[in-house]
Amino acid sequence: MDNTQDAIFAIIAKEAHIPVEKISLESTLKDLEIDSLDVVQIIFELEDRFGITLPDRDPTVDTDSVRGLVAAVERLVAEKSASAPSTS
Amino acid sequence: MRRVVITGMGSISALGFDAPTCWQAMREGRVGIGPIANIPTELLNVKIAAEVRGYDPAAHFDPKRLVLLDRVSQFALIAAREAIAQAGLEFRASGIGERTACIIGTGIGGENTHDETAKRFYGDKKTNVHPLTIVRLMANAPACHVTMEFGLTGPSFAVVSACASANHAMAQAFDMVRSGRVDYAVTGGSEACITVTCVKAWEAVRVTADDTCRPFCKQRRGMVLGEGAGIFVLEDYDHARARGATILAEFAGAGMSADAADIVLPSMDGAAKALSGALADARMNADEVDYINAHGTGTPANDPTETAAIRKVFGAHADALAVSSTKSMHGHALGAAGAIELVAAIGALRDGVIPPTANFIDPDPACDLDYVPNTARETPVRAALSNSFAFGGLNAVLALRRAE
Repeated sequence: MDNTQDAIFAIIAKEAHIPVEKISLESTLKDLEIDSLDVVQIIFELEDRFGITLPDRDPTVDTDSVRGLVAAVERLVAEKSASAPSTS
Repeated sequence: MRRVVITGMGSISALGFDAPTCWQAMREGRVGIGPIANIPTELLNVKIAAEVRGYDPAAHFDPKRLVLLDRVSQFALIAAREAIAQAGLEFRASGIGERTACIIGTGIGGENTHDETAKRFYGDKKTNVHPLTIVRLMANAPACHVTMEFGLTGPSFAVVSACASANHAMAQAFDMVRSGRVDYAVTGGSEACITVTCVKAWEAVRVTADDTCRPFCKQRRGMVLGEGAGIFVLEDYDHARARGATILAEFAGAGMSADAADIVLPSMDGAAKALSGALADARMNADEVDYINAHGTGTPANDPTETAAIRKVFGAHADALAVSSTKSMHGHALGAAGAIELVAAIGALRDGVIPPTANFIDPDPACDLDYVPNTARETPVRAALSNSFAFGGLNAVLALRRAE
């Protein structure tokens, strides 16, 4: 799971042009001074990287905080692999 | 300087195939937003739009002509035919075409052609592309086709400023007639942007509503895409009077500004500058204005910002103003928005009826003007403003007076 979190931090850092060291699970996107246009770009990159869809205005998806984004991505990735057909 | 009047009006939108039908729908508060029917929706999360429904291109254009026309040019031509017929001007036969400008706004241009071409090339893996792709998709195509059909040989071009394209185009045309550069202008905006890729692109910005468009109300969830065109004939007042034309309204002024701030977030100061600029250009006192057709997209950001800008410019008179967003009915037609909305402003001036903001549930404390919720209101309208505030912070406000 740490790999997922690292990848998410890296995407946030790249899209928002901030050092990855500034980001923690406790940060809100507002704390990190990430504006709304950067938020939608971060969401796009997360969807692309993990092959998921982050639903718009879903009350179970918190896109205001780093912890919320990580939780949402991890859940959606887990749901995807649970529903994927077995390849073995 | 000359006075400029509007003597012809045409429109096609989700509210109907001509301007009287559109205006009647606005008066009735009829909503043209519904499930998307014209394109495949399985890849879409947002499955609603204000489409032009039941439209058969073959009923308007012969096949040889149609092959040249993206939907955006078709809409412009249909609206131009109506406007020019109403104005009663024979541009080609009478030789006045050379004293006529044709300036038509579009936010995107030939979006259907773009979408089909990309699908054919990348999706269907075809190796060739239709030879008329370029002439269909260029953003100036709507203006070109109108000049060709009617023999308009004066200055002609497209104006592109996203959601303010139509108002910027009409402001240009107005300036040209007012200054005497031309005697007549055919102007407005056209948009046909409801394709799979364009709807997906709007989804990705996360500003589109999934229920309907509810401007200024607490439950608003964003904008809803629309499409269509509005085209108008402008001429100078003396000409119009001398030939006994019916004057629909006086085009009194225009105000334009750029926020120079953010590519998506609107600025209150930029909007206020365009509003006050329109009043000054029209030599109009704030308390002369009875109606503002708002930009009113129904997004979280636009509606309170626009409200604050109106309050800043109008002061105490803001509470006496009727402000409505007809996008609640015809959706947001981007580069055609201001043109379709001018049908509302002209209707309000002529009939003394304010079209409502439809789909309104509860007021939002951050939006505290009189938005004429859900039901049209009968009241005399002496002067009206029509607002368009585009992505990128490009603002254009038109000022109209009731015809004498």
